Amino acid sequence: MKFARVGVAIAAAAIVVTACGGSGGAGKDLKVGISLPLSGSALASAGPADKGARLAIKDFKLDGYTVAPLVLDHAVNGVHDPQQGAKDMTALIADPAVVGVVGPFNSSVAKVQIPISNEAGLLQCSPANTNPDLTKGDAGKELRAKNPDKINYVRVAATDDIQGPAVATYGIEKLGLKSVAIIDDTETYGKGLADAFSAEWEKLGGTVVGREGAPKGTTDYTAILTKFKDASPDAVFYGGVTATGGGLVRKQMPQVGLGELVYLGGDGIQDGPGSVEGSFINIAGEAAANSFSSVAAIAEYPGKADFNAKYKAEYGEEAGAYSASGYACAQIVLQAIKTAASKGDVTREAVRVAATDPNTTFETVLGPVKFDAVGDTNQRIISLYKADLTAADGVGDWVFDSQVNYGN
Amino acid sequence: MSVVTDLTPQAAGGGRKRALQKTASKHHSWTIVVGMAIVGTLLAVLAYIPPFTLAQPSNAWIDGFTNAGVFVMLALGLNLVVGIAGLLDLGYAAFFAIGAYTYAYVASPFGNSIIGIPIVESLGSNVGGLVFWPMLLVGALVAATFGILLGAPTLRLRGDYLAIVTLGFGEIVPIVFLNSDAVTNGTNGIGGLLRPALPGMGSFSAINPWPYYVTMLVLVTVIMILCYRLVESRLGRAWEAIREDELAAAATGINTVTTKLLAFALGASTAGIAGVFNASKLVTVSPDQFTFIVSFTVLAMVVLGGMGNFWGVAVGAFTIYTINNVLLKTLNEFFDRVSMPILKDINFIELQFLLYGLALVAMMLLRPEGLFPNSRRQRELHTEMDEPGADELMGGDHELEQEDMR
Amino acid sequence: MTALPATSDAGSARAPAGRVFKLLVLLAIIVGIAWVAVTNLGADQAIEQLVNALTRGAIYALIALGYTMVYGIIELINFAHGDMFMVGAFVSLTFLGQILGLEGAVTNIPLLIVLLVATFAFTMSIMALVGVTIERFAYKPLRTAPRLAPLITAIGVSFILQNLVQLVYGPYQTNSPKIFPDTWVIEVGNASIPVLSIFIISVAVVLMFSLQLFIGRTRLGRAMRSTAADRDAAALMGVNINRTIAITFLIGSALAGAAGVVNGLQYGVARFDDGFQAGLKAFTAAVLGGIGNTLGAALGGFIIGFIEVGATAMGYTRWGPAIVFGVLVIVLVFRPAGLLGQQLGERA
Repeated sequence: MKFARVGVAIAAAAIVVTACGGSGGAGKDLKVGISLPLSGSALASAGPADKGARLAIKDFKLDGYTVAPLVLDHAVNGVHDPQQGAKDMTALIADPAVVGVVGPFNSSVAKVQIPISNEAGLLQCSPANTNPDLTKGDAGKELRAKNPDKINYVRVAATDDIQGPAVATYGIEKLGLKSVAIIDDTETYGKGLADAFSAEWEKLGGTVVGREGAPKGTTDYTAILTKFKDASPDAVFYGGVTATGGGLVRKQMPQVGLGELVYLGGDGIQDGPGSVEGSFINIAGEAAANSFSSVAAIAEYPGKADFNAKYKAEYGEEAGAYSASGYACAQIVLQAIKTAASKGDVTREAVRVAATDPNTTFETVLGPVKFDAVGDTNQRIISLYKADLTAADGVGDWVFDSQVNYGN
Repeated sequence: MSVVTDLTPQAAGGGRKRALQKTASKHHSWTIVVGMAIVGTLLAVLAYIPPFTLAQPSNAWIDGFTNAGVFVMLALGLNLVVGIAGLLDLGYAAFFAIGAYTYAYVASPFGNSIIGIPIVESLGSNVGGLVFWPMLLVGALVAATFGILLGAPTLRLRGDYLAIVTLGFGEIVPIVFLNSDAVTNGTNGIGGLLRPALPGMGSFSAINPWPYYVTMLVLVTVIMILCYRLVESRLGRAWEAIREDELAAAATGINTVTTKLLAFALGASTAGIAGVFNASKLVTVSPDQFTFIVSFTVLAMVVLGGMGNFWGVAVGAFTIYTINNVLLKTLNEFFDRVSMPILKDINFIELQFLLYGLALVAMMLLRPEGLFPNSRRQRELHTEMDEPGADELMGGDHELEQEDMR
Repeated sequence: MTALPATSDAGSARAPAGRVFKLLVLLAIIVGIAWVAVTNLGADQAIEQLVNALTRGAIYALIALGYTMVYGIIELINFAHGDMFMVGAFVSLTFLGQILGLEGAVTNIPLLIVLLVATFAFTMSIMALVGVTIERFAYKPLRTAPRLAPLITAIGVSFILQNLVQLVYGPYQTNSPKIFPDTWVIEVGNASIPVLSIFIISVAVVLMFSLQLFIGRTRLGRAMRSTAADRDAAALMGVNINRTIAITFLIGSALAGAAGVVNGLQYGVARFDDGFQAGLKAFTAAVLGGIGNTLGAALGGFIIGFIEVGATAMGYTRWGPAIVFGVLVIVLVFRPAGLLGQQLGERA
């Protein structure tokens, strides 16, 4: 109570000092909303996306217009909070200057935000949502129920139903593996990925000798790994991200005697070289050898080195896993703004139409991106990477291995 | 002493006391309605004036108030359990979850397929929302049932043992929802829930915060009236008796088992209502909406507000919600717009935990009895029932003195 | 107030025959579990999982001790205690990684011993200091406040500790030098038992044993027991209450610090939010064993380790926490004061 009162007192004083900024209607001063969980443990994964997006906005120039980011953090007590996410979306919609949003990060938040943004017709681009139900099928339709013909949600991440099978195919066909043990982190991304992987693995004739779920916050995987040891798998697959345990599992495998096994994962553990704090290679260290992961992008997109350099120059740290995705999403929103401006007024509807036009190809840092009728990216090329501990001046990095085209 | 007196209405003056009690109750109910109306209007006005508009748009404020209202409902219910009956419940979010999922089973396609009754299909999404209103009651009942089920094993437990068991249930329930994919869709949660609908108005909108806001005000008012009624009834007296001294209470003929179970049940029922309301607003339920943090936050609201005092608890809930979900998050935006020199450059988002923690510690060190404690002492000083006045508005007599609640 | 018994028979008037019976039951349960484990998993798996369970349990037990001691003496559920463990883990990784500049395993045995002793001493001293400071500024002023106020404060302190660590070390996992080589294993048949696990279990047992001795035999220990039993009477007898409480926090925090060091050696990472989960489990352990009873806390810690590993061995890792709490509820239904707790009379 005291703090609120103090806050109000300062505010009152400030009003006297500075002239009120006015409500700032759309006009020429535009805003791009960034709705991500940015405090506590969520910061590790989503923070880089936020930084990437803001970098793109900073670099953007359009005659007669200014574009500024409006960052809203929907993490409560360190964890993404769907209720707060809904409220933030309402706040973004209520601000007439906001013509597009980058976010959210978690599928559970997207589920509450999309109905709201859909009703308002506000463009939303997610750098990281992978749950297929957000766009495809009946579940996707439910979310867009208010304006079913006006798609407003797009994403640059490939959906789980592609990545999992890609890794499974790679494991069985390229690496010649036969049996696998799976751990997932019980979250939407991790479990979905693991389910898709597991189904495809068995379809291709492999065997799944064990499947366990370890929620975020688990630090001790020795019991699970000991159990797997009994079944002698050729590999261990991890469905989840580094932050929920991807690195820890790998790190503990040698301790239990499974250090020689192949380790497979999705883009959740593909988070940069060993010099990036908290990345898979950084955590797993020596144990990272013989690990493979996937990325839903054309390998080594041309802009990668430049982007990393630019990012480091701006923020003084290495780009994280989702930095480029955040940057790409912002690029798409900005590109849509540009298109809308060229055709007349920059309104939400104009921006939305420009972004969701299935005929437009967006040139982004991730390569050329095109959206299909429900907002999914056409980048269905999955690239497989191998961890190489001698790369990147000895700190270790993911090195491109091969590519699988899941395009239709 | 007054406790014992109130339980035996045949005592001298008991009849007149009861009559006075009845007037006080009625008086209370109207006071609450008027009070809530004033508060509701005041908040709505505040959302439109600077400095509030500098931090976030007005609609966001109204939406935020509605969310705060959900927590107020939760805090009022927990107050019954912790503040009035003295049962330390650390797993309150479980009932919140149960209410929400109950609504999901009735108001979503997935849920309908599980229970086998195609409600959404037959009613359609525009009119289907009418089920919201009866579901408020159903959600309350289901939650109350679970309140009894989960409360039953705790009857023999004391103080902190009770706490850890309730905490355990608070963990178990979301885990069950998380891992039972076939029945609950697991970590993906159940989506596509119907928004409330009113005849003639159609269903509530996602971008217009007002219908939800008004509904929230009505629900909070109703819950508060019920709470006051309960507390002033025999049951309420029984709760306070067990809270103060369970053995003595049993000795005066109170059935401690029923009394405790009723505390759990009725406390859980408001969480059930809040769950249904919240689910209808977010149109999706998922296990990650019901973590221990939620249970703990509601407890902090009850303690901060001054346990036992309903208006106090409501203010406590509102305060903590505003600090945690609004103030700390909009500091960046605010100082940016106001262009204050040093403060503008600090990234308050990364300091949230720190500031929240400091706020909690400071509040407890400065005022450990809560914002609006007391009243028992106040009641003893004033001749009881003589002056319906400010202290009546502040909510009467249900508070823990220092050093009790062992 | 709940007593803080030094040994399991303090204040209890059980007949010796009853105790023998209880011991036999315990033995039967242990043998039964061992039999089930061996037949279902095979001897090697059983042994390895046993070691896993004991290692995990040892860490929980160390943290649980601090919880139970503080509760026994001032009836506070110190929610910040789990974060003391987390801070301990970071202190030890700073010591090893930044101050000493170590990175990997140290195979020179004498050097390793010196380093280990130094790390424990350093971390435990710092954590003891931190614990006493927090008690002085955040909990002492609230000793006469309504009981839930310090609970809220504890969580406030927890948030503060977490955010401070996060500001310094970032929200990511940070590497902690695993100086104890985990290539050292003892082979028992086909099973390999890491020497590190044995070390951890021994450290925990030694610390617990020392604690029991301290509480049972020394003057300070007696002061702690009497303060826990009846604060006013103890004060009348000349016990310096403030100092006793401070020492309780000191020891509890030091033990949490030790748990942090051990955690770093075993898992090699630390993150600012590690404390919450660990604290929750340790608190459960303390209650399971009978809160206020140090032996019970240790027992509870190991039991929870066993339950979790057992759940995994049977393929139910997902349900782990639910099973732990389920067991807790069942135990409390039959023994409302915990396994080794004492049913005292009604208190006002």
